[in-house]
Amino acid sequence: MALLEVTNLRKEFGGVIANDNVSLRVEKGEIIGLIGPNGAGKTTLFNCIVGYLKPDKGRVRFKDEDITALKPFQTNRKGIARTFQLMKVIADLTVLGNVMVGSFCRTDNRRIARDKSLEVLEFLELQEYSNAYPTELPIATQKMIELARALATKPELLMLDEMAAGLNPKETEKMVALIRRIHSEKEITLFLIEHIMEVVMSISERIIVLDGGKKIVEGPPKEVAEDKRVIKAYLGERYVKG
Amino acid sequence: MEVIKDIFDFKDFSRIEKVILPLFFIFLLIFPWTTGSSFAKTVMINFMLYSIFAMGWNSIGGYGGQVALGNAQYVGIGAYTVALFMVWWNMPYWLSLPVGVAIAIGWSLMIGYPLFRLRGHYFAIASIAVSLVLQDIFLNWDFVGEARGICLPFKKTPNFLYMEFTSENYYYYFLFAIFAAGFLYMNWFRKSKLAYQLKALKSNEDAADSLGVNIRWAKTKAYAITATFAAVGGSFYAVYNMYIDPYAVMCLDLSILIALTTMLGGAGSFWGPIIGAAILVPLDRYLGAWMGGIRALRGVDFMIYALIIMVIAAVEPRGIWGLVLRARKRR
Amino acid sequence: MEVLVSQALVSGILMGLVFSLIALGLTIIFGVMNIVNFAHGEFLMIGMYAAYWSAVILSMEPLLTLPIAAAIGFVLGIASYYLLVRHLLRGPMIAQLLGTFGLMLFLRYLALFIFGPNFKTLSKGVLIGKTFMMGPVVIDWSKFFVGLLSLVSFLLVYWIINYTKTGKALLATSIDAEAASYMGIKTEWMNGLAWGLGGATVGIAGALLINFYYVYPTVGILFCMLAFATVALGGFGSIKGAFLAGLIIGLIETFFGQFVSSELKFAVIYALYFIVVALRPEGMFGWK
Repeated sequence: MALLEVTNLRKEFGGVIANDNVSLRVEKGEIIGLIGPNGAGKTTLFNCIVGYLKPDKGRVRFKDEDITALKPFQTNRKGIARTFQLMKVIADLTVLGNVMVGSFCRTDNRRIARDKSLEVLEFLELQEYSNAYPTELPIATQKMIELARALATKPELLMLDEMAAGLNPKETEKMVALIRRIHSEKEITLFLIEHIMEVVMSISERIIVLDGGKKIVEGPPKEVAEDKRVIKAYLGERYVKG
Repeated sequence: MEVIKDIFDFKDFSRIEKVILPLFFIFLLIFPWTTGSSFAKTVMINFMLYSIFAMGWNSIGGYGGQVALGNAQYVGIGAYTVALFMVWWNMPYWLSLPVGVAIAIGWSLMIGYPLFRLRGHYFAIASIAVSLVLQDIFLNWDFVGEARGICLPFKKTPNFLYMEFTSENYYYYFLFAIFAAGFLYMNWFRKSKLAYQLKALKSNEDAADSLGVNIRWAKTKAYAITATFAAVGGSFYAVYNMYIDPYAVMCLDLSILIALTTMLGGAGSFWGPIIGAAILVPLDRYLGAWMGGIRALRGVDFMIYALIIMVIAAVEPRGIWGLVLRARKRR
Repeated sequence: MEVLVSQALVSGILMGLVFSLIALGLTIIFGVMNIVNFAHGEFLMIGMYAAYWSAVILSMEPLLTLPIAAAIGFVLGIASYYLLVRHLLRGPMIAQLLGTFGLMLFLRYLALFIFGPNFKTLSKGVLIGKTFMMGPVVIDWSKFFVGLLSLVSFLLVYWIINYTKTGKALLATSIDAEAASYMGIKTEWMNGLAWGLGGATVGIAGALLINFYYVYPTVGILFCMLAFATVALGGFGSIKGAFLAGLIIGLIETFFGQFVSSELKFAVIYALYFIVVALRPEGMFGWK
C-alpha cells in the first residue's frame, strides 16, 4: 500500500493545462523530489494533492482513502502537512503561537499544545525565538517557522515547496541537514519540490520530473540526472548553485 | 479544573496591567457609593454595557478580523425575547434570558454559515443586510409592537425575578456581574484554541487552512460568541430601560457603534473593547449633555468623536491599544 | 390592473436609473482601489443639500443646480481622498472601514450642525408637481427628467472611463495599480480622481433626487445601503453590473411596494441581496 497515490490527475486553468495525466506513488518512509522547469506544474500538483485546488480529473488517495474532494484543513487532519513556496507566516502571533496553531490540530488542550510546540521548536533549535514575532526575523528563520508549524500538526507526509529558495549556502546546508533529521528522527515521509539541484539530488531517494504538466521521468537521482529528456527539459536553464 | 485555572490566569499580563486589573475592579465595585449622581451611574452602566457588546464583537471582529456589522440584530433578539415573554406570558427574566441567548445563537449559526462564504468587504456589507431585514420586519410586525416598541409591564414591588428595581444600584451590580463574567470568559478565550485559530486565519487564511483550521466553522463559532454577548447585553437593556423599539435595539447605528468601540480601543486585543467603551461612552454622554444643551452646537459632539475615529484609523489602525504597544516598545 | 403594472414599470425604471447613478460612484471607487466608502450616502446627502440651497438661495431652477452639486461632490471626493483615505491605505481593511465610518459620522453631524435636523423639500421648480400622460400612465415630469438625466450622466461617465485617455488610465490602475505605475500612470492621482469622480456622480444623483425626495442629515444611510446592495448584486467594481442591478432594484422596490407592502420593500431588497450573495459571492453579474 502506497502512502500517497495520485492517478491520472489533470488540472486546467482556462485552457492552460497545468497538470496532465500525472500519476505517482509515494511509499511510506521515502524522500521524493519533484523537479521540473518553471511552470512545469509542480506547485499546482501540490495544491491539488492537499486540496487547495480541485483537480479536473483523476484521484488522490492517502493511506488507501480517497482524499480528492477534501479541503486543505481536512487533508491536514488526515496527516498531510505542507509549506508554501511564498511564505505565509501568521504575523499576529508569536513564533510559539504560530507553532501552536499547528499543534492545536491534534489537541484542544492549550497546555498540551504549548508543550508539543516547544518540543518542536527545540527540535528545530528555534527556542530562542519563541516569543518573537515572525516578521521581525530573517527569511531563513521564517522558513524554519513554517516548517515547525507544519511539523506540529504531526504529519505522516510532509510536502515541502522550495524550502531552500532564497537562502544563502550556509543556510541551505543547515536546512538540508534539518530535512534529513526530520526524515530520520521523526520518521516522516517527505515529498519536496526543489529548484536547487544540489539539494534535491543529495537529499532524495527518488526523483520525479515534471515538464509542461506531464510526468516525463521518474527514478533514482543519478539516472534522472543523466536522462536525456530531463536535460532537454532543462536546456537553457542554468543550474543554480545555492 | 484547568478551565477554572485558565479563567483566572493573568500571569502573562504586564506589570502595569497587573496593577490596573484589581484597581479597575475595585473602582467598578465601589463606584455607586462614591457618587449620588444618577447621571454618572447611567454613564457607568452604559460603559459596562458597551464593554460587553464590544468584548463580544472582539471575538469575530478583533480575533477573527471579520468586520461583522449586523450586531444590533442579536441585541434586538435578546431584548425582544425578554420583553415579549414578559408581556405576553409573564415569564421571568431568568427564564427568558437563556431562551433569548439560544435564539440568538441559532440565528447566528443560520446566517453565519452562508455569510462566511464571503470575505473582506463583501462580508462586511452582507452582514448588514440581514440585520436590516430583521429591523424592517420588527418595525411592521404587530406582535412585537411595530415601530411603537414595547413597554415592559410595571410590577408593584421591586422584583428580582423580573429584574425590576427602584434603585439604580441593583441594575448596576447586576450588570457588573455580567461584565465580570464576560471579562473572565474573554480572559479564557484569548488563550483558547479558537482564539489561536482565529488569529491565524485573520493573518492568512491559506496558512490556517493548511494547519487543519476549519476556517468557516471557526468563524461561525466566533460569530456565535459575539451573538451571545450581544443578546445578554440586549436582555439587560430591555429590563433596564423598560422600553424597547427597533430603532433603539436593532438599528445599523448600534451595530456600527459596537464595531467602532472595539476598533477604537483596539480590535484583537484583550483591553481594546474596554478602552474603547471607556472613551466613547463618556465622551458621547458628557459631550452630548454639555453641548446638546446648547442649540447652536448640536452635532459638534459627534463631529469631535468622528474626528478622533478618523485620526485613529489613519495613524494607528490597531486603535488606542496600538498606541500603548508603541509606547511600550519605545521604552 | 394593466395600468397599475405599466405605471409601476415606468416608475420602477425611472427610480432604478437613479439607483444606478448612486451606485456608480461606489463601484468606481471600489473598482480602482478596493475600498468601500461607507460615507457614500453622506456624499449623496451633501449633493442634495447643495442643490437645495443653491435652488433656494439663488432661486435657481432645481435641475440647473446639477453642475454645482457635481462640482461640490468632486471637491468633496478629492478632499476625502487626500486628507483621509490616502492615509488609510497602508493599514488593514479594518482601518479603512473605521476611517470611512468616521467620515460618514463627521459629514452627517456637520450637516446637522449647519442645516439642522428638519426635513427640507423643494416646492418651487418648473417641473415640480407637474405630470404628463403617456397612454394611460401618469408620469411625473420631474421623475421623468431625473431618470433621463441619470441615464445621461451614467452614460457620460461610462464614456469617460472607457474612451478617454484619463479613463483608460483609471481602468489600468483598477486592473493592476503597480503595473500601471510602471507605465508612468500617476496612480496616486488616479485614486484621487476615482474619489472625485465618485463624489461628482453621487453629487449629481443627490441634485436629481432633491426634486422629489426630502433631505435631512441622516438621509444617507438608506441610500448607502441600497447602493451597497446594488453594487454587490452587480458585482463589485463592475459598471455595467451596477447599471443592471440598479434597474432591478428600482423595479423590485416599486413593484413590491405597490402590490405587496410598501413598508417591507427595502427588507425584500436586502433579503434578496443576501440570498444572491450567499449563493453567488461574486454577485449576479460579477465575473471577477
